[in-house]
Amino acid sequence: MTSPPGGEVRIGVDQWVEQSDERREQHTGWTAPARRAFDQLTPGWRLALVATAAAAYPFFVRGSDVRIGISVLLLAMLALGLNVVVGWAGLLDLGYIAFYGFGAYFYAIVTSDHLPAHWPTEVAIPVIVVATGIVGVILSLPSRRLVGDYLAIMTLFFSQIFLELVINFQRLPFDRLPFVSEDLDLTGGSNGIPGVEDWQLFGYHINTFNRYYYLSLALVVLLIIGLHNIDKSRTGRAWRALREDTLAAEHMTTPVNTMKMLAFVVGAAIAGLTGTIFAAVQVGVFPANFELLLLITIYAAVILGGSGSLSGVVLGAVVVAYVPEVLRDPSKAGWLFYGGLAVVLILTIKPWQRVLILGGGLVGFGFLVRAVASNIWDESIAGTASGSFASRAVDGWVLILDAQADVITNYAFVAAIAGFLAVTLVKGWWRIALLIPTIYLAVLVWENKLVDQTSVTRQLLFGGALVVMMAVRPQGLLGTRRVEII
Amino acid sequence: MEFFLQQTVNGLTLGSVYALLALGYSMVYGILKLLNFAHGEVYMFGAFAGYGVLTVLGGASSPVVPVWLLITLMFAGAIVVSSAIGVALERFAYRPLREAPRIAPLISAIGASFFLQAAALLMFGSRSRSYSTPTLVDFSTSIPFGPIRVWMVRVLVIVTAVVLMVLLTLWVSRTRTGKAVRAVSFDREAAAMMGIDVDKVIVVTFLIGSALAGVAGVMVGLVFGRIFHLMGFFAGLKAFTAAVVGGIGSIPGAMLGGLLIGLAEAYSTGYIGALYQNLIVFGILIVVLLVRPRGLLGRPELVKV
Amino acid sequence: MRKGSIWRIVALLMALTMVAAACGSDSDDTTTTTAAAAATTTTTSGPAATTTTAAASTPCVASIGIMGPFTGDAAFIGQVQLNWAKYAVELFNGDMGSNITLIEFDTMIDPAQGAILAPQAVDDSDIVGVIGPAGSQVVNAVGPIFDPAQMAFISPSSTEVGLAEKYDFLFRNVPLDDVQGPTSAAYMVAQGAQKVFVIDDQTSYSTGLAGTIQSELETAGVTVETDSVVQDATDFSALVSTIPDDTDFVYLPWQIASNGEILGNQLAEQGKDITIFGSDGMDSADFNIAGSVVAAFAPDLAAIPDSADLLAGYLAQYDETNTFGPVAFAATKVLLEAVDRVCQAGGIDSGDATATRALVAAEVALTDQSADETILRAPLSFTSIGELDGGAYFISEIQPDGSYLVVG
Repeated sequence: MTSPPGGEVRIGVDQWVEQSDERREQHTGWTAPARRAFDQLTPGWRLALVATAAAAYPFFVRGSDVRIGISVLLLAMLALGLNVVVGWAGLLDLGYIAFYGFGAYFYAIVTSDHLPAHWPTEVAIPVIVVATGIVGVILSLPSRRLVGDYLAIMTLFFSQIFLELVINFQRLPFDRLPFVSEDLDLTGGSNGIPGVEDWQLFGYHINTFNRYYYLSLALVVLLIIGLHNIDKSRTGRAWRALREDTLAAEHMTTPVNTMKMLAFVVGAAIAGLTGTIFAAVQVGVFPANFELLLLITIYAAVILGGSGSLSGVVLGAVVVAYVPEVLRDPSKAGWLFYGGLAVVLILTIKPWQRVLILGGGLVGFGFLVRAVASNIWDESIAGTASGSFASRAVDGWVLILDAQADVITNYAFVAAIAGFLAVTLVKGWWRIALLIPTIYLAVLVWENKLVDQTSVTRQLLFGGALVVMMAVRPQGLLGTRRVEII
Repeated sequence: MEFFLQQTVNGLTLGSVYALLALGYSMVYGILKLLNFAHGEVYMFGAFAGYGVLTVLGGASSPVVPVWLLITLMFAGAIVVSSAIGVALERFAYRPLREAPRIAPLISAIGASFFLQAAALLMFGSRSRSYSTPTLVDFSTSIPFGPIRVWMVRVLVIVTAVVLMVLLTLWVSRTRTGKAVRAVSFDREAAAMMGIDVDKVIVVTFLIGSALAGVAGVMVGLVFGRIFHLMGFFAGLKAFTAAVVGGIGSIPGAMLGGLLIGLAEAYSTGYIGALYQNLIVFGILIVVLLVRPRGLLGRPELVKV
Repeated sequence: MRKGSIWRIVALLMALTMVAAACGSDSDDTTTTTAAAAATTTTTSGPAATTTTAAASTPCVASIGIMGPFTGDAAFIGQVQLNWAKYAVELFNGDMGSNITLIEFDTMIDPAQGAILAPQAVDDSDIVGVIGPAGSQVVNAVGPIFDPAQMAFISPSSTEVGLAEKYDFLFRNVPLDDVQGPTSAAYMVAQGAQKVFVIDDQTSYSTGLAGTIQSELETAGVTVETDSVVQDATDFSALVSTIPDDTDFVYLPWQIASNGEILGNQLAEQGKDITIFGSDGMDSADFNIAGSVVAAFAPDLAAIPDSADLLAGYLAQYDETNTFGPVAFAATKVLLEAVDRVCQAGGIDSGDATATRALVAAEVALTDQSADETILRAPLSFTSIGELDGGAYFISEIQPDGSYLVVG
């Protein structure tokens, strides 16, 4: 056997497991020098680098883009919080947005004309964070008895109940309670609570997008530092133990139930805090803010970035939050679609000659189909392209159907999905051959339908990304692959 | 008495649908210990497939075949589409994750559910479609049942559900594949060592579960008339509840749970008010989960250390 | 290359793409849209012209925005609003020789989206007024952003009472929930109703209406029973069974008309011969039970002969319409005329967007269209706080052949 890198053999120690860290650190490939340099920086410097770049952002963009930046930062905070529960403690919490909503609503109720109550921000924020933490404790109680899937359902239902309560609060017989007045409208029902006040910290009024941006950025940085320290502490190790094997951890005297509760509480507190900022920035809270799409978005951020990794979830949040913005404008959306397609093809098909053949075959196929179709049936090229640079390029190549020919696009969509699935089943040249019509159909569907329907495309993308990520790279972009020792 | 009977019929109709859906959840959970979040979407596509067949064959106002044949073909179409989706889900979303930590297939399931919802939104739009069943089968076509009259379509739904459940129970207890399914639920590794083709068994389970969901989808379209892309999510939640209440992993449990939840919904609406319907159902679930997590007919789960 | 590094590169490229996309400005190359709806942002061909002479021959160059749910669950509202707005702009540009561009913002009926899009509208200095948003929640989310920017926003579909008081620059050209309620209640009382069953669908629109109806009816001595469902329910049989047989009306202030159809069918199934009275949300082709009654803020456009040409012109380009459309057309026309008046007075100042917007808003407030100028053949003007002046509801009965007969 060749001698293992990095030192002499030690008796009684599993070499392969020992060296897993080292293997990770030996980057190869052409990005290696950059990555090794990045690794040289301690986490503190890395954070400073990224934070400085983020701080410079508002100077180069317009106000509305800063607003988008705030959304990104808020999503990052939520992702960090969810990461604690799902990534570190391994508890599948599908009710996370209930904490977010609770914090937001609480803030709205106490700092608006709704009741009216105008609590000063310095009082409201701590109270809300603690209160959300207490809600976290309540939600953690079932986790003592339920694991995995059961916990997931429970938490999912909890969030549904929360929404129902918020919307129907006025209709429920709470006024039978002694201290509640007859027409107490706590939550504004389905109208929500508009007109929420800004944060005011010790006389400093946070009332512009820039100020909220920096507030959020500061909080994100503080959270990262705080969470990093927790991760390195006993609590972090206890969470890791509990995630990997709860029973073993319990037998090693880890207070499993307390640790679970702590994870819920920390996650909940972070979500509650984020909720207050959200309510202040949006100047209102509405039930429509807390739909399931948001939950999937946060999960997509955490999973895509790498659950368990702080930098991963932040990166995931940035990517996920920017996708709808990019999709909104067809020219940028075109970048995303065609660029992404090209990148995936180039990287997954080797050697590169095959990619060229694929490209050539695709082009030829397209022109053939177009020639045949336009002769048979005029409407097949009657529509106009959406205006992105790429679609002008493909205008002469792909069929842009008349809007009435909806049904064809539906069949094309189903066929494209089936094609992509089938491609995973075959190998070699068959793969290339199958890819050609499949990609053509995908482009057809994109140009005819997806480009226009941003919300649907976003949903398709997130859902599909979750499935694909789990199958191909469950650790996300920056997570570490969990080594299962059997 | 009449009111009670009426609500019972309402509850049984709903319950039949939930039972069929819950069966799919239970069977898959029993065999893979996986909650198939995307099952609701399989049901939804079944409903749309039935609608497609209906439209192709002339629509509710002028069908080109006799009504009974039309309905049978609608069921057939739904079964084909739903089974295809179910099997594809298993093959591409869940099979690669069989050895992964349990959180992975759950997330994949959530992603798949979301993807399918978006696909339906893309293909069919946000407007709902209607089967227009009253045009097909008039309300006067009904069967007297004590003091009330029950519409033929409801009778059809309840009877079909019962027949399917009986067939399924027979299949699981009498046929070889059925026994293989039970064996794999009990202990996958041991079953594999006994020479059972586990992969095939799993595929068959998904096939049957999804086919039942497709049938349920058409039933809902027939009785209630409105199908839309989100119907899977909401029915899915209720069917989850039913499966868990009855005992997830247990086939008779799913049937019982489904009927119970359907009846609970009907009675609570009838005697308390429709406003509390969802809260009550969720409440039942939480109580069951906390007091008896294995459900009414479920086996307590043994965790091997 | 190792498999792991693939993903690093993917991540890197995606990040670069995002950065490029984010930093890139919108004024790259975009073309105007034609038939199919698209969420594009279109730009004018140059900076808005400052007119120094008051000559009507100078083409007015400006942009207006439209916010609405063009995709997503409420797309059936937003798409139709968008199409009618586009139609209005097209006609106006053709008649007046102006060059006003319509810029779209898809809210997906999500207030958080609205809160993100509204600053984009404000930052685009060419946009001098906005149509929309649809939905009272979204109005509440964008109000705090448009008000400080002095941007007039005319919502053709938000009926929560009191919003125009809250937001100075909000205008609405639909009658509110507090008009529909009394009109509907009065009709039911006039029909001799003794018992009415009111079912709301838990949206703010619905609960508001239900509350008003209930108090109006009870004041008139009618027995009212209430209950509530969720929009996503498909089965109402249990609820229907609780409706007493001797109820005169079932009042449904619902937004999803097809649910009303289901309820109606189930009423018939259980042999209950009760008339359904639907609110304007039920005024749609999805609800078609003969003998039922619906309220609407306008008679069906097909029933207004003077507007037949407009309707025909619309249908030639777009396939579908519903009640939300003509109101959006009316709102767009109001805004376009206001913009034009400012233009003619030389007020479009590309350097000072806020001043321009304030001028436009002032002109909108002065709108006074007579009955033959509007699509719905009713005069259109605003009260001092920005609500529609006048504005009544029409009650129609659905005939066996599907047509509507105005009865109140």
